[in-house]
Formats: sequence, C-alpha cells, structure tokens
Amino acid sequence: MARVYQVPRHAFPWLIVAALLASLPHLWRGPLWLALTVPVLLGWRMLIQRGVLTMPGKLVRVPLLLAVVGGTLYSHGTLLGPEAGVTLLVAAFALKMLEMFRLRDAYVAIILGSFVLATAFLFARDPLTTLYIGLVLVVVMAALVGINDPESGVSPWRHLRKSGGMVLQALPLMLVFFVLVPRMPPLWNLQVNQQQAKTGMSDSMSPGEVSRLSRQSGIAFRVEFEGEVPPAAQRYWRGLTYGWFDGRRWSQALPPEVQRNDYLRFANGPSPDWYEELLAERGEPDWRYRVVMERTGRQWLYALSVPFSDRQDVALARDLRLLRKDDIETTFDYRVESYQIPVARQGLPEWERRFYTTLPERGNSQARQMAVEWRANATGDAAYITRLLLWFNQEDFYYTLEPPLLSENTVDDFLFRTRRGFCEHYASSFAYMLRAAGIPARIVAGYQGGELNPLGDHLLVRQYDAHVWVEAWLEGQGWVEFDPTGSVAPTRIEQGLDAALAEYGESALTGLAGALRGVPLFARLSLLADYIEFGWAKWVLGYNQQNQLEFLSRWLGEVTPQRMVMALAAVGGVVMVTMLLWMLWRVRRPRLVWWQREHRLMVRMLTRRGVPLGLHMTTTQIVQIAGEHYPSARQPLQDWQHCYDAIAYRKDIHDPVSMRQQLRRLRRMIRRRLIRRQALSRQTEPSREL
Amino acid sequence: MNRFGGLVKQLWQRWLQRRIPPSRKVTLDQRRIFIFPTGYGFLFLLIAALLFIGGINYENNLLLGFSFLLVGLFLIAILHTFRNLAGVTLVAGGMRAGFAGACGALEVRLQGGTHAHRSLWLRWPGAVAEEVSVEAGEQQALWLSVGLSQRGRQHPGRLRLETRYPLGLLRSWSLIDLDHPCLAWPKPLPGGECPASGGEDDSGQQQQRGGSEEFEGLRSYVAGDSLRMVDWKSYARGRGLNTKQFSDPAEGRLWLEWQRLVGLDPESRYSRLCYWVLELDRAGERYGLILPDGVLEPDSGPLQREQALDMLALSGSGGADG
Repeated sequence: MARVYQVPRHAFPWLIVAALLASLPHLWRGPLWLALTVPVLLGWRMLIQRGVLTMPGKLVRVPLLLAVVGGTLYSHGTLLGPEAGVTLLVAAFALKMLEMFRLRDAYVAIILGSFVLATAFLFARDPLTTLYIGLVLVVVMAALVGINDPESGVSPWRHLRKSGGMVLQALPLMLVFFVLVPRMPPLWNLQVNQQQAKTGMSDSMSPGEVSRLSRQSGIAFRVEFEGEVPPAAQRYWRGLTYGWFDGRRWSQALPPEVQRNDYLRFANGPSPDWYEELLAERGEPDWRYRVVMERTGRQWLYALSVPFSDRQDVALARDLRLLRKDDIETTFDYRVESYQIPVARQGLPEWERRFYTTLPERGNSQARQMAVEWRANATGDAAYITRLLLWFNQEDFYYTLEPPLLSENTVDDFLFRTRRGFCEHYASSFAYMLRAAGIPARIVAGYQGGELNPLGDHLLVRQYDAHVWVEAWLEGQGWVEFDPTGSVAPTRIEQGLDAALAEYGESALTGLAGALRGVPLFARLSLLADYIEFGWAKWVLGYNQQNQLEFLSRWLGEVTPQRMVMALAAVGGVVMVTMLLWMLWRVRRPRLVWWQREHRLMVRMLTRRGVPLGLHMTTTQIVQIAGEHYPSARQPLQDWQHCYDAIAYRKDIHDPVSMRQQLRRLRRMIRRRLIRRQALSRQTEPSREL
Repeated sequence: MNRFGGLVKQLWQRWLQRRIPPSRKVTLDQRRIFIFPTGYGFLFLLIAALLFIGGINYENNLLLGFSFLLVGLFLIAILHTFRNLAGVTLVAGGMRAGFAGACGALEVRLQGGTHAHRSLWLRWPGAVAEEVSVEAGEQQALWLSVGLSQRGRQHPGRLRLETRYPLGLLRSWSLIDLDHPCLAWPKPLPGGECPASGGEDDSGQQQQRGGSEEFEGLRSYVAGDSLRMVDWKSYARGRGLNTKQFSDPAEGRLWLEWQRLVGLDPESRYSRLCYWVLELDRAGERYGLILPDGVLEPDSGPLQREQALDMLALSGSGGADG
C-alpha cells in the first residue's frame, strides 16, 4: 500500500515530550551548544506541527547535520568514544525529530529515543536517575502506543495509561531476567570513564596530598561485616604501601630484587613461598566482610590486615594488601576474610631489609643525628619507638589541615621548626626516624575509621577518612603498625577527623556540607540515603557473575548452564502465564459514563442536604422527593431531569460538551438554591423561638 | 520449486479450513489467532541485544536492566497484542454487488468482547484495508470493498483481521472465512445494436402508441437525455451528439434477449445485455429480460435494474459458486 501514514495528532505531544525528557540528562551533562540546540529543534518541530513554520528542506537539514558533527568534533576532539558518540547521538536524534513527518520516521525516532535514554546510564547510576529513566521510558512507550493508534480524536492520556500499565507489567519480567540471565565477563574491553580523573589515594605521597583528600566528603567504600564490627581504633583499611623515600616524596616501589610474579599472588597463578607460609599460619578469620567500593580508576583495594579475597581477579601482594588485575572503573565489590597472622616467622630477607631502610644519602641531618643517638641509648628497637612516640605526644605538635610550607629538609623542618602537620607529616617523619635508626619501615596508605550506619549496620568510609600510618619490622614480631598521628591526636583514631579537628578549632568540610552536618534531621536523612545507596550498590550495581553464582547456588544447588536456562524459562514462564491469566480473566468494573457520574454527584449532593433518597430511584422519583424538600429548587430540578433524560435515555446527544456543561450548570444552580434555603431556615428558626 | 510451493499453499489452506471453518459468525479465540513479531519488533529486540552487549562490556548492570525491561515489554506486548484481537466477534453483514473487474463491498459487523479492541485492520485479499476500533461490548459495522474478477457469486477468500496495537512490535492476525459471497454483475460491454425486440410480442396497444410518435427535429445532447434518443447516425458522421425530439415522450416496452446476440460468446452476451440494461435504465425505459434460464417481466426503476443485473450475474455458469 502506497499510502503515506502520518503521525496521529494525539501521539505528537508524547513524541516531543519523550524526546525532550530522554535527552535531558545529556543536556545537563553535555556541551552547552547541545543543551541549546535540542530544545530549539524540538520547539521548531512543534511550530511546524502548529502550522507556523514549514518543514525544512534538505538545504537546511544537511548544513544542520554538518554543524552538529562539527560541534561534536569541537567539543570532544573526536567522533568516537562514548562521550562524543552520545553527544552526536542526541543531536542526531533531535534532527530526526525535526524531520519527522511520516509514521515511519516516528518509529525510527522512538527507537533512537530509547537508545538515547539508555545511554544516560553510562554517566549516572544512582537510584534517582534510574527512577527518572524508568518514568521517561513510560513516556517513550506512550508515544509508541500513540502512533499505533490511528483513530482520531483519542485522548493522549489513554496512551500514557496503557504504556504505564505495560511497563509495570514488564517490571517483574525484568527482575527475573536481571537475577537469572547468566552474567558474562566483558566481551572486549571498553571503558567510558578513562578520561575521568582518578580519585582517592595516589601512588605517591608528598606533604599536603592526604590533607587535600580530607576536604572531600565523597564515598570511598562501604563495608558490611558478617558478625562483629571491629572497634574504631582497629579499622585500619590498608590500600597500598610506600617503600621509597626521595627526601620529600614517598612512593610505591618494587624492590629491584623481586619479580612481579613472586610479588603478587592471584588465585589462578603460581603460589610464591611467602604465600604458602601465610596459608600455613592462618587459623580462623578475625573479620569477614564485604566491601563495595566506588570507582577509583586505580587497582588498589582496601582491607584489614591480612586480607584474603575469593575473587579470581584479585591478588594478594607481598606487602599484605589486595589489588585487582584491572583498574576499578565501576562500582566494585569483594568479600574479604582478614586474619591476624604473625608474619615474624618468615623473617625478612636481606634485600628486603636493605630496601626498607634506604634513605637519601644527604639531608635532614638533625633528625638523622637524633635517631642515631636515641637508638644507641635505647635497649632495643621497641624501646626506641616507644620513646619516639612519647616524644611526639609530649612535644607541642599540632594536628592541622593547614600546615605551613616545609623547606627542602622536610623532616628536619617539620620535627624541629613548624611542628604543625597532618597525618602524612607525622607518618613521613616517623618512618624517616625509624629508617635512620636502622629499623625497616614503610608507610601504609589507606583509610582509617569509618562511620557506622545503624540502619544497615555497615561502615561508610569517606574520602576524608584517608589516612597514612607506618609499619615497622620488629624482630620476633614481624610488621607492626604504628600510628604517630594517634600519639599527637588520639581523637582522630577514636572518633574520626571531624572530632580531631574540632579540638584544634578547625573543620574539614566548609560551606553548606559542613554546616548541614550538625543538623540532626539532615544527619538522619543522610544516613537513610546512605542506606538506600548501599543497598543499591550491593544488590543492583554490584550484582555480578560472582554474586549471581552465590545467589543461585542457594536455590539450584550446583549451578550449571542447563539449570540456569531451565530456571529462567520456568520463572519467566510462570510470570508470563500469571499475567496472561490476569489479563484474560480480569473483570473490569464497568466505568461510568459522564452523565452517570453527573447523576451520582447529584444524588450525593441531595443526600448530603437531607433529601432521603433510595439507591435505585428513577430520576422522576428523585426530582419529586427533592422538590418536596426544597420547593424553591423545583424548577431547576425539573430542568435537570429533562436534560438528563434526554441524554441518558433518548440518547439525544448532538453536542456532548455543551450538554455536559448544561447538566453541570443545572446541578450547581440547584445546589445554590439548596444552600440559600438552608441559610434562610437557619436565620428564621431562632426568630421563631423568640 | 513452484510445484512445491503450490503444495505447501494447498496444505496450508486445508489446515486453515480445518482450524477455522467457514461460518457467518466467528468469535476469535486462541485457536484462531496467530501472532508473530513485526520487522519493527525484531529491530526492537536488536536494540535490546545491543544494549545487553553494551551492559556486559561496560559492566553496567543498569544498562543490562534497561535491555531486560525492553525484552520484558516485548513479551508483555505479546499478551496485549493477542488480547487486542481475542474476544472480538465478526458477523457477516450486508452485501453490495459490483461489476466484474471493479469492486463490490461486503459488510462485516464487529462486536466487542469484555475489553476494547483498538486499531483493527480488516481486508479481503487483494483489497484495501480499513481500520476500526471497537469498544468493549459495542458494535461497529464496516463496509469492505472486494475486488471482483468475474461474473457470478464470488467468494472473496478469507478476511484478514490484523492488529499491531499497542506497541507495533507484534502483529496478531486471523484469517476468517465468513462464508460471505459477493455478487459480481457482468462487466458492461458497450456497443452493438440494442438486442431488444421492441415490444413485438406485446399487445398492440403499445405498438400504436409507438407509432404515434412524431419526429420533430434534433437538438444538441444534454446530460441526462436518453441515449435511445441520440441520433447515432449523425454522431457517426462526426456531428456530435444530438438528441432526437419527438412530440410524445417515448415509452416502450422492450425485451432484451440473450438469443438475439448471435456471434458472441456467452460471457460477452451477458456483458452486452448488462450494458443495455444500464442504458435502458438510464433512459427510464421499461424493459424485460429473456435469458436461457429465466425471464424477468418488464418494468423500470432501480429495483428492476437490480433484479436484471442479479439475474445476469447468476445466469448460466454464473449461478455456480465462482
């Protein structure tokens, strides 16, 4: 059939609204020109629909398309990649909307629109965005229902009701698929966020870097414990260690003697000696927990010492920390069992001892001299360390987020001159003093503490919980943690950064976030939001192959592909059949037609005014009884009856709109008479008593 | 290959015949409804598959969820599209005959079931589709044109009732034999002498009246003038259409006879007779019809015309189901 089908008039509003709502998240995020172009194009299309403008020809559309491509190149420098691709897609979608004329164009536009809508998930994954996208999908589907209904004069709301119902019905199916469709590892490696900045800890530390993190309230990770939650003073989340000091900066480094293979142990890789020894030593785990961490763009995972993970792509490093094979670009979760293992029996090989006592040959002479003297006077390493910590505690060291700048000899300058610093200053100088005394030492970077959310009973660790501390090798004890910051500001370890800073009259969070933290309602709300977000991250964003296997093995026993397919078919089938039966056998209550509704309103009004009316009275009876009670309203009542009977029984409807108005007008007139009558009787009654 | 195709078609028709036997009134249920995705439905699934691959590759569960929601919508659309057709009752209605080679029309009445049936497309094979919506419990009547190929009682084939509502992702349809034939009159074949015996067999009264007509002259043809009054001889000489003027209006009683059309095959005779029936009707003449298998008493007016045409349609082999 060569007929050209046009977009039905009643479907058009949904098409425009759907296009605008679907592009909105991208307009918010994308380049400015896009945010201006898309509404202009959609407005243009609306004016065309109104007949104000005409459809643009190729002479307009082709330059527009070129301009869009040029704009994308200008904003992103490329046409490839998710960011540029989405910009181009959104702009092309708006152009398609502009030239949408035939029904076929509308079909294409709807497919494009759902694609545009889905791509919003590449950039935001919070529950609110998800809810928004779900609602917009209802609108997109309403447009699809609309263009499939060529009947003219249909109410657009009918489409929305239909699509809303369908999306609601599709949700259980989506849930079934979400849980049961086997997850696969990525087919090829694609990352959206590669251009995005890395967050959290970095692989080296110079004075001032951790304090920068302390001003951020972003979430680093959340931890859910099985069983007891460790006390605040034991929550040292190890992320990475810095073994190399160049006089100013501590950085992560691998001793030249050690091979990467020997340094990392993956579940499916070879097992180095040190790992075997650890396994032999470990008994029952002290803590079992699940960490759900936010994107960092780094490999490092955070855990309590000594951590073992069950994930295939997670390795344990020789310096007792976990790291993932690839960078963490999305929400990542892992289960950890932490054991307190005395690693002393393994001993420290000579090369490692040398590596962990290396210092720059020159500089910081005062500190070095003091270390050598004190060590010579001490009975052992432990005594020396104790004296050093006591010194930190008793001298007038200040814990502050805004330390003064340090000169070239950072350690000397800090220990003997400024004495104001943040954890990195204390850890850095403390580790220096240990190494200067010949004690193997390294700096551990990670997070300390975390806020317990009583709703979910989970720990929330934020960026401002970032912390560095020191580990020293003590003969017979192995690597032992020392936290010089704790000697200076014990509150930091026990109660967190805010409390510690408050003692010194400072605050990490300035502005609105800082001010709101003190408000109890806001605190409770933010706990609730955190609880929801954690559930979201755990169950929705973090539902991966691993979790799926765990979850399914509870129901299916051994999880085989056949069983998964069978479970999927069975559960999906049950949902479908239930819905089919519900749809086929659902008996709908007959909906009242407008005049029946008018009738009901009338009866209600009269009953309220004290007219005794039965349930199934004819209009004649109603009008008669009401007329007896309110003689003044008799005339409009009769008019109403006349009008109603004409509509309802003789089906004498030429102009539904005006007849409806007339019926309503009569009802209101009757009501006014009724009210006046009541008011009159109220006035007259007391006078009668007088 | 062609023979194989023919065989498949035959088997399909036989199967349909068993599954949906001809009936003047059919209520659609799951036995009679077929459903299959449209091209757009496949495109929709392809988009869902692309989003699934995207979700896997970006390790993005929400993208996966979105693609699952699309698939869920597709599955739910199966139920809705099916339900949109299920429960509707079709009843064969009236019939408007037409000439062979043109179109006739058949009325189909649709009775809604417990729910509304929106955007139903109905069409006989080879004809243009019509769209109709039926609300719950209401009735709609629809005249559908039928292509008529040859004279006689014609079976239009199976009525195709199709819907894509609500999402256009699936097409559910049924092929219904409403046992609803359409009558095809012969295709008018213009020309020739009027195969009429101008009332020879009739009473003398008519003849006398015919003889009393006096030729008065010619005037140029005006639309609506009887073609019998046209001076065909002058037309053949290229003088244009002129109408003969008689003092009395011609009112005869003509018998159109099948037998008079010698030298023509039977179908052409019906066609020629059909042409003359139309002509005489337009001229407002009284005419009768004598066919090998029937006689129609002379009369004039639309009813006569209808009867004459129906007779022509059903005469001879045309009486058999065409």
